[in-house]
Amino acid sequence: MKRMSKRGTDKVLSLYWFVLLTIIAGGIFAMVYVFYGAPYDVRGIESGLFAEKIADCISKKGVIDSDFFSGKDFNRNINETFMKKCSITFNVEDGYGDEPDPQYLYIVEFYKSADLINIKYTNQPVKPAFYFYRGNLNFYVGNVNDPNYAGSHCLQEGDKTYTRLEECNERRLYSTGEDGEQYLIKILSVIIKSQKNVRQ
Amino acid sequence: MNKRGTILVENVVFIIINLIFLSLLVIFLLKQSSGAIVLEQTYSKQIAMLVDSARPVMVIKMDMEKGRKVAEKNGIDFNNVVKIDGNIVQVKLSSKAGYTYAFFNDVDVSAYAERDDSGKYTSMYVFTINNKVSGK
Repeated sequence: MKRMSKRGTDKVLSLYWFVLLTIIAGGIFAMVYVFYGAPYDVRGIESGLFAEKIADCISKKGVIDSDFFSGKDFNRNINETFMKKCSITFNVEDGYGDEPDPQYLYIVEFYKSADLINIKYTNQPVKPAFYFYRGNLNFYVGNVNDPNYAGSHCLQEGDKTYTRLEECNERRLYSTGEDGEQYLIKILSVIIKSQKNVRQ
Repeated sequence: MNKRGTILVENVVFIIINLIFLSLLVIFLLKQSSGAIVLEQTYSKQIAMLVDSARPVMVIKMDMEKGRKVAEKNGIDFNNVVKIDGNIVQVKLSSKAGYTYAFFNDVDVSAYAERDDSGKYTSMYVFTINNKVSGK
């Protein structure tokens, strides 16, 4: 077997060195491409802000806005004016392709505190005293059109297949009605916008 | 050239090529993070989130120094970088279409680039949030 000279060995080592560098550079190029090629997903922040906006509009200083009541009962027509009252718009830019419109959903539920306490004894699902909603109903669990509606929750929390499709947020707050009754207000806010927030 | 001299030249060339290689890699990484496309998306989403969290009457200042540099490099006037049409933010740092993103907060937003006393841009963008005038 012919032995390689020192200079020959050095050249082979240099060649291997550059092959190694090329592989590392290729890896870095690929990682950078994957990282910067994917859109920034801001839907988590957006859905949180959406829920906060709704909460701020419903309850001020721990008291539910008087517009939500009609006499001693809830104002059943509040949803018709809710978006204008709270300065919310569902208008979005072009670029969402085949995604069903609108790109938002909110469901607001009011539970009487007394009903929530009674659940300990009745063991029955608590029905909200009043609820209203607007938006794309494809991404939540519950049936808002069911007469026995017993609340909604986010679709398959933690499941990556669903988090690609939407970002859901649940906020709960306690507030007092005009009649002094305490209510648990549950706000479910959903942002879809997957075309602009998830790599397709 | 004697043997010792040859080894030195080879080593120097080897080191120089390595340095060129690493420099290209670093330049590539820096360019990627400050590219017009990436910045357009970042700024438009940041502005949309700022407006979503804002209440009338608020004035918000946002530092867009990287954006100003990229816009100037691409021949775009910094004052034309951010456009707000209704509830849609458009950020344009190159001659291409730019990036748009919508905010849900139904307020009246105006945006302009801040200038110093000498009329030069300070890299800050000013956003003024007001209640929407009915019928607008």
